[in-house]
Amino acid sequence: MTDEVSRNERIKEASDYLRGTLEQGLREEITGAIIEDDAQLVKFHGMYLQDDRDLRPERTRKKMEKAFAFMIRVRIPGGVLTPRQWLMLDKVARDYGNGTMRLTTRQTVQLHGVIKSNLKATLKAIDTVLLNSIAACGDINRNVMCNVLPEQSRAHAAAIALARSISDDLLPHTPAYREIWLDGERIAGGEGEVVEPIYGKTYLPRKFKVVVAVPPSNDVDIFAHDLGYIAITDDAGKIAGWNVIVGGGMGMTHGEPDTYPRIAEVMGFCRTEDVLKVSEAVVTVQRDWGDRRNRKHARLKYTIEDRGLEVFRAEVEKRSGVRLAPAKPYTFTSTGDRYGWTEGLNGRGHLTLFVQNGRVQDLPDAAQQSALRTIAQMHDGDFRITPNQNLIIANVPTEKQAAIERIAREAGLLAPWSGLRRNSMACVALPTCGLALAESERYLPELLDALDRKLAAHGLSADDIVIRMTGCPNGCARPYLAEIGLVGKGPGRYNLYLGAAFDGSRMNKLYAEDLDHAGIVEALDPLFAAYARERQKGERFGDFVIRAGHVVASGNGADFHANVRLYEPI
Amino acid sequence: MEMSPIPKTAPFADEEIDLLNRVVGTATPVQRAWLAGFLAGLDASGGTPALHPAAPARPAEPLTIVYASESGNSEKLAGDIAKAARKNGLKPTVIDMADLELTVLTSARKLIFIAATWGEGDPPARAVRAYNELMGEGAPRLDGVEFGVLALGDTAYAEFCLVGKKIDERLAALGGKRVVDRVDLDLDFAEPAARWIGDAVKVLTPPNAGGRVIEVDFGGKPSAPASTDIVEAEITEHVDLNSSRSDKETIHLALSFENGAPAYEPGDSLDLYPENDPAYVDELLRLAGLAGDEKLRADFIKTRDVTTLSLKTVETYAGKTGHHYVKALIADGQAREWIAGRQLIDLIATFPIALDAETLRALTRPLAPRAYSIASSRREVSDEAHLLISAVRYESHGRERKGIASNYVAERLRKGGRVRVKLKPNKHFALPAPDRDVIMVGPGTGVAPFRAFVQERRAVEASGRSWLFFGDRTFTHDFLYQLDWQEALKDGALTRMDVAFSRDTPEKIYVQHKLWDRRAELIEWLDGGAYFYVCGDAKAMAKDVRAALVRAYADVKSVTPEVAEQAVVTLEREKRYLQDTY
Ligand code: SRM
Ligand SMILES: Cc1cc2nc3c(=O)[nH]c(=O)nc-3n(C[C@H](O)[C@H](O)[C@H](O)COP(=O)(O)OP(=O)(O)OC[C@H]3O[C@@H](n4cnc5c(N)ncnc54)[C@H](O)[C@@H]3O)c2cc1C
Ligand SMILES: Cc1cc2nc3c(=O)[nH]c(=O)nc-3n(C[C@H](O)[C@H](O)[C@H](O)COP(=O)(O)O)c2cc1C
Ligand code: SF4
Repeated sequence: MTDEVSRNERIKEASDYLRGTLEQGLREEITGAIIEDDAQLVKFHGMYLQDDRDLRPERTRKKMEKAFAFMIRVRIPGGVLTPRQWLMLDKVARDYGNGTMRLTTRQTVQLHGVIKSNLKATLKAIDTVLLNSIAACGDINRNVMCNVLPEQSRAHAAAIALARSISDDLLPHTPAYREIWLDGERIAGGEGEVVEPIYGKTYLPRKFKVVVAVPPSNDVDIFAHDLGYIAITDDAGKIAGWNVIVGGGMGMTHGEPDTYPRIAEVMGFCRTEDVLKVSEAVVTVQRDWGDRRNRKHARLKYTIEDRGLEVFRAEVEKRSGVRLAPAKPYTFTSTGDRYGWTEGLNGRGHLTLFVQNGRVQDLPDAAQQSALRTIAQMHDGDFRITPNQNLIIANVPTEKQAAIERIAREAGLLAPWSGLRRNSMACVALPTCGLALAESERYLPELLDALDRKLAAHGLSADDIVIRMTGCPNGCARPYLAEIGLVGKGPGRYNLYLGAAFDGSRMNKLYAEDLDHAGIVEALDPLFAAYARERQKGERFGDFVIRAGHVVASGNGADFHANVRLYEPI
Repeated sequence: MEMSPIPKTAPFADEEIDLLNRVVGTATPVQRAWLAGFLAGLDASGGTPALHPAAPARPAEPLTIVYASESGNSEKLAGDIAKAARKNGLKPTVIDMADLELTVLTSARKLIFIAATWGEGDPPARAVRAYNELMGEGAPRLDGVEFGVLALGDTAYAEFCLVGKKIDERLAALGGKRVVDRVDLDLDFAEPAARWIGDAVKVLTPPNAGGRVIEVDFGGKPSAPASTDIVEAEITEHVDLNSSRSDKETIHLALSFENGAPAYEPGDSLDLYPENDPAYVDELLRLAGLAGDEKLRADFIKTRDVTTLSLKTVETYAGKTGHHYVKALIADGQAREWIAGRQLIDLIATFPIALDAETLRALTRPLAPRAYSIASSRREVSDEAHLLISAVRYESHGRERKGIASNYVAERLRKGGRVRVKLKPNKHFALPAPDRDVIMVGPGTGVAPFRAFVQERRAVEASGRSWLFFGDRTFTHDFLYQLDWQEALKDGALTRMDVAFSRDTPEKIYVQHKLWDRRAELIEWLDGGAYFYVCGDAKAMAKDVRAALVRAYADVKSVTPEVAEQAVVTLEREKRYLQDTY
């Protein structure tokens, strides 16, 4: 490994706090792209330069450049939106985007297909409802996630408040976003003024993700993130403080065993008033200790693997001045969503809807986007995006519940899906994702149809089984924490992982490689059959495949790649 | 009567004197005048034919020929008339209506107008100014001026030959004396035009041309015009430039010619000779009860215009078939309205009646070629010529309609295939000196000639700046020749480019909006002597662009709309505002 810092580090260094040459690039009308280095900087503003990969083959012949367009990721701490904000996102998606909205695995909304000349108009429009995409991507703290629907709604209030305060505290201070996208005044940094007290000129070595969870629900998949807080409540159900977890992450690269997904570890317990101090300390330690030479080794999970949790905790305590108490006990039960109505405070109800792979659109047979627009127009509570790419119409007063449920049901948002589909997620992948090796969002529904038929045959249709698919090993849909994980290897080919814990506390293990559609179904069908036959009372599919010896339970970190016994298709 | 004007004393041998007497004695005054001119010219040129014959003994009768032309047909006929007139001892002056000063007409004694109609009954773009003056209050009296008008048009258009008709009326109203009746000619104008010219010149030639000397043209004309014969080309590239997601189809067609491309210049067009859609012809023949007539079918596919429905067609139909409803249609004066948006096939389908081959043929006219701006420069593509052709498709009166030529190209021509074309020069849409700046406004297929301009300016390393305004529906799916423009901007062949895409935003944006946004620099370029070119849609775009330019002038120079209008008129007179619109 060279001592050279990575190219991105030099780009950040030279960018004058994320300004780069973005404004110049926006003025060039005849290309849909921006100036090369800026493609790295624009991520810090919540956008990705992409191109429609479906169209690649024809473009040069037609004397056209790639079909460039931007993906805009909105910053929505805890995934909570007002109906007015929902309506605005829905409008810009239709005015400037590809028409659809994409609910993400980190509780945000992505717009796809926004061409360069429409970026400013889009960001100005969402600014009018107090939304922005600052730091939704990039080497910096991303959108802070928060458990959406705790049994104790009072705890949710505390959790979302915490998520928002962390989100605000870790925001970049550079005025670049306002200057470039909202035509704000250029604010010249005075001599020697500290622009980014927490991050500094080069921000973090890599992306950084924070979550807040309220047991027993682990819908946020807390162990997949860099930094997390688990709510610890007292007997009265009031928040006593938070267990701090660090060092989780999913991404890896095929064929590079020194890259691996990792489960976050519990570092200790702290009181609410110390959370920001601890968070800032974790961020600055990673800022200074993280690997800036190799981006494939730059996440906090590797810093902790390399230095050890003890050393890391000591440094965090030193910098924050907070003494971390021993972690308190907690129990998670599941990572999924609870569909249908749940009781909220003062008589209000929450309605959880199933949105397949988070893609909000008007389908030929189900006008879901229109239905949600209608609901937003009559709703005075809030919208909550779940970490499972689903949507909650929250705080609905009794008198409106019937009407809203009817609209949702007619649009197929409350359909009686199988337990497998209800617990499914797929990343975006093709055609917009530049890193996709295989289809995901566009293929999973078809695969589920096939698997549902098998499950029905074995009487398992109603059973909750977590299945997640991604188009590449980066792990955007957290496939390594799914009882059934499918990870794209190449066009039409997937690696199959099995044996993760239903509550998100254990990763799965590679079971078969390079399977095509038929291969996947053939590999899983006998396992479903065996599960239906041999499972013990209440035994989860992920636990069963281990007990029955089909895969070995994964330990943490590098162990993910160990003890792999590949199944041979007969 | 027999007379011998040549005296025996003439310096010739007797038998030569007899010969001369036989010729000269029977010669008409005109022939004698011609001989006089010939001999004088021969002498003055010291034996070899001279370009400038001797001055006539008495000035020849002047004939003023004015033409209003867009695509050159009227212009060519004006030339033919001048030739014929000269033969008959008249002294023709040919004037492009673009340069016409009305005072010239007052001093004219004999006057011929040849006028084409464009757009939807409009004058050719560059004739608009003089046309409006002629129709306006300030037009001078033309008492006693002898005139005749030849109108060119296309019966496919509702306003058939309207401009010629209007000019004809106007000249009479101003006191002119109509000595030749107007003819309104369709696309197949060649023969009738020749006949009219013969008659007109006869009428305009004074009965006694005696005692005059006819200028004899010894055929020493400057360089002959580029050959405009029909040639066959091979299709070496056939690509739809719109993305597969676009609802448009615009074909980039590269043609190559065995014996070198026609000698075209940037700004010229090619006439493309299409064939009909066999399926369409089959349906037409079926409806006419002529299915199975293979000879007729082949002939119709290749040579007849099987779509156009004009009043004339309806009248012929009524006449030949005696169909009551059709007669009624004409009688009630509804025919004109009924044919709008309809085609021959609708007539036969709505008022069915068995037709024989001859009647059906009589209902059609010859299939005319379609013009396409050349999108390449020979300096860059040598033996090739490129065309940019947008497939015309629309629905009307419950039928899917397809433009004949554009769909012949889009749907039936393929790479490796062959197509017949003919050069259609347009010297009124040419590039200026390489050191002059050019501003090019070409949305949609209007951008075609500007690709030729840019290639040419690159090849000659022009020092002048060039600025292109392009527009279409969407940036991602309809940006025609995007890579070419990017390259041109890199290598400097193009200095600047502004684009307007109408369907990328809720509110539509067109090129005229971009012109307005950039008005300061725009006027600065024009003040610096830049040439302003507009190509593409005549119906809306060309008008909106001109209006935008007038507003830009008014705003930038803070002058009244009238003054701004004058500024643009001046540009037009200086031939710095040039249009090729269709
Ligand atoms: C939209 C989303 C998936 C979804 O279907 O919802 C997504 C989509 C993309 N992710 Fe992700 N990631 C998304 C959650 C995740 C998660 C899940 C999580 O955080 O809980 C992970 C795994 C956790 C982790 O970070 O380790 C994840 C790990 C990655 C990685 C690998 C990072 C690593 O350090 O290993 C990349 C590639 C990279 O960063 O180099 C990546 C990159 C991408 C990009 C931006 C591709 C790129 O870099 O060009 C994808 C855009 C595709 C598109 O066209 O929209 N995405 N990405 C999720 C948006 C979250 C959000 O709203 O902020
Ligand atoms: C000098 C010149 C240069 C040109 N350059 C180009 C060029 O570079 N590229 C190019 O594509 N074209 C160009 N054109 C236009 C071209 O010549 C043809 O007119 C065009 O391709 C249509 O021909 P067609 O045979 O396909 O359609 P036709 O069979 O001639 O049908 C066209 C007719 O259909 C009718 N029509 C068309 N659209 C509608 C509608 N929406 N609703 C109702 N009626 C309708 C109109 O009557 C129209 O005249 C140029 C024309 C001229 C005069
Ligand atoms: C775009 C376009 C519009 C036309 N509009 C009319 C019209 O409204 N009425 C008409 O009689 N002829 C119309 N014509 C036919 C022309 O007048 C005819 O082609 C004529 O021969 C052109 O003469 P020029 O080459 O001198 O311009 C039109 C032709 C084109 C290409
Ligand atoms: S997992 Fe891979 S393919 Fe899927 S969205 Fe993330 S980066 Fe793209």
